[in-house]
Amino acid sequence: MVDPTAHKLVQIEVLGPAGPYRSRSRRTIREVSGKPVAELSLAPVPYVAHCMSTLHKSAPMSRPDRLKAIAKAGRAFYEEAVAGLEAAEYQRMVARISGLGIAEVRSAASKIAAFANEAWDRAQFARPSAVIGDRVDAEPGKGVGLWVRRGDIFGIHAAGNHPAIHGGWLEALALGYRVAVRPSRREPLTPWRLVNALYEAGFARDQLAFLPTDYAAADEMIHGSDLAMVYGGADVIAKYGGAKLFPQGPGRSKMLIAGRHDWRDYINLVVDSASRGGGTGCTNVTTVLVEGSKDDATAFAKAVGEKLRAIPSLSPEDENALLPVQPSEDARRIEEYLLQTAEGTLPVLGGSGVADEIGDGSCVMRPAVHVLDSAGDVQSKGIELAFPCLWFAPWSPSDGINPLRNTLNLVLIGVKDALVDEALDDASVRNVYRGAVPSFFAAPHMPHDGYLADFLMKPKGFVSAPDYVVA
Amino acid sequence: MPDALDGQILSLPYGVMPDPDAFIQAAMAWHFNPETGAPFWIERAKSLEFDPLTDVRSHADLSLFPNITDEIRDHPVTAFIPRGYGSRPDVISVIESGGTTGAPKALPLMADFAQLMVERDNAVWEHYGLTQKKNWLLFSPSGPHGALEQARRGAKAWGVLPFAIDMDPRWVKKQVAAGNQAEADAYADHLLDQAAFILKSQNIGYIRLTPPILARIVRREDMLEVIRENVEYIHWGGASMDADARHFYMDVILPGITLAGSYGTTMALGSGGRQRFGAEDADETIFDANLSPYTTFEVRDEKTGECVEYGNRGQLVVHHVSKALLLPNNAERDEVTRVAPVDANQIGDSIADISPLVSFKGQKVIEGVY
Repeated sequence: MVDPTAHKLVQIEVLGPAGPYRSRSRRTIREVSGKPVAELSLAPVPYVAHCMSTLHKSAPMSRPDRLKAIAKAGRAFYEEAVAGLEAAEYQRMVARISGLGIAEVRSAASKIAAFANEAWDRAQFARPSAVIGDRVDAEPGKGVGLWVRRGDIFGIHAAGNHPAIHGGWLEALALGYRVAVRPSRREPLTPWRLVNALYEAGFARDQLAFLPTDYAAADEMIHGSDLAMVYGGADVIAKYGGAKLFPQGPGRSKMLIAGRHDWRDYINLVVDSASRGGGTGCTNVTTVLVEGSKDDATAFAKAVGEKLRAIPSLSPEDENALLPVQPSEDARRIEEYLLQTAEGTLPVLGGSGVADEIGDGSCVMRPAVHVLDSAGDVQSKGIELAFPCLWFAPWSPSDGINPLRNTLNLVLIGVKDALVDEALDDASVRNVYRGAVPSFFAAPHMPHDGYLADFLMKPKGFVSAPDYVVA
Repeated sequence: MPDALDGQILSLPYGVMPDPDAFIQAAMAWHFNPETGAPFWIERAKSLEFDPLTDVRSHADLSLFPNITDEIRDHPVTAFIPRGYGSRPDVISVIESGGTTGAPKALPLMADFAQLMVERDNAVWEHYGLTQKKNWLLFSPSGPHGALEQARRGAKAWGVLPFAIDMDPRWVKKQVAAGNQAEADAYADHLLDQAAFILKSQNIGYIRLTPPILARIVRREDMLEVIRENVEYIHWGGASMDADARHFYMDVILPGITLAGSYGTTMALGSGGRQRFGAEDADETIFDANLSPYTTFEVRDEKTGECVEYGNRGQLVVHHVSKALLLPNNAERDEVTRVAPVDANQIGDSIADISPLVSFKGQKVIEGVY
């Protein structure tokens, strides 16, 4: 069916080696209210296969040229018109499509610009200290480890939960990979803009492609990549599992407040950890464990709930909007899933529902706080959802590491050295933060879920000596 | 004994159109006469709420029949052989469905209907100007399925050599269902490796394949090169191909090569429709029922069962009525656009843009922030 308003919609076309491609079948991109704002072209399977083999045939730009182009693209992405779309209009559209507050969207855009500026330097944090990054730095006659790419083509099966995730793959581009991005069909605007900005800054079209697709063609993109990064739940990770994959799995970040403490000291830390950026990130805390009784955990949960309750319900384009907004139908499904999971737990906030109608067909996802009977329930009940959704549980040293496992960022407050070591040794815990830091703590040199560059690069033995034999 | 006229109207050569109503009435007389009908229908007639001999007078009346495709599994193949074919019926193949949903369904393919399909295919090849100068490469399932054997019969009739790559769709589906994508990929590569030898050495001008195989060929420069050089005609079927993919092949990957699709279902003995002649440039991929009045289409609303308007999407219903088999009112798991036929003699609808029927009910929420 041809939509009569189609001519007013932003056309988000496939971007491949031969230029923009507009497909016959297109997906309507809607604001959270349901209003159509853009049309997304979808690349058919043979298009993707052809595109990937063209990327394979291309050679990377020189390092100085590509780093200059990436930085330039980042600046344009943040503050200039790209593909005819002004920065402010882009940010407003992403807020309306994704439901993230406009301030958060703007901050994500500035993060992408910063990533672009530092893409090469960030990648170097992953380089082993005995390995050099460029063969010209090798001392004549001395053997070294040289950092080289493990492949040529990097595919990204991206998520739509947060625009800032697109800063990550710029590292691959900086390292000389040719890149294919398969956007989330929920919010494809961000990678479309970023890829256009990179073209406008000097990247040739055989270096980088934007490939919105259905699922079959997404498989083709992964297949055609030497290495790939896949965001998604356990099912998506399982489907694509394998050595060529850098999975970005669930966060399920946790905080433990142990020892003799007054939990009142940590109310703001937990509230901030749960709600920063709207609570949509994998580094937002999901489970809070408190040493003591269930009553202690409940009292703490209530204090945190009071603070979270005060966050207002606002439309995404409101400068003060913090909580994420979803189309009402999606919001109701998520709410139902939450309430089902929460059965048998003690509701402190959001026990009768979290979807708050704005009146335009969309709902603010209000915070939820529940208390579990014991630390033993954390692994089965402590689900992660894309809004401030907290599960409190009592903890005692005899519960040990088990409730803390399967965690992206684990904050350990007031714990003994032994537990820190146990957490560091546990493969299912990806980052350990000791002391009173927020769960979203990050620094440029810290890995997020492993270093991406560690996955992209490998050391090769290298020696450079004169061609004549030294007597 | 059956009426002599009935026997004639059910045995017309390809291209000769019977009077539609007389045809249906003759078919009912054949299939529901205990001396000529198949044991299945003679028995099943007892529990029908209507009398096919008097109530079914035209194609429109076929909708009175229940969809009995699921009952096929409970009967031996012999139950579907019309007794009118005599004590030594010429069953050229036993053909089985894919087995995607539960146990496979097996049907007898009578030689006379197989011949009708060969003649139908001849008409297509003549239309596209295919010659006898080059040989054929057939990616097609044999074994329990009927497709490869039928394709070989076509090659023999056309006068060319068929080179076959056997495919086992059940094995692939099993691997994919078990999450062994790598195994399924390795199998597809195994098929392509075999085909690469034939392509390079056997003067292949025609390839019969499925859309997933064609998509995998795009990954292989060596094969594409040979195909662009020597192949004139690619026939696709067995799975759907969307219009964007079709146009991308025509415009970019295989310019100048005829790309023609067909739709067939085992529940109509492999017959169904062929891509509409002259509609290659259309934004949709249209199929005309090219064995009408034997195999015809209807497009119905999945929920109400009402026929949808032209241009609208609905569930595909296939009717098969021939001397060889009666299998009316089979609602397929496919969604199609209803299209008006161009041939005034064609019974029922033409269809476009076949895709798997997706039920949106009960969408699951998956945990996570992505």
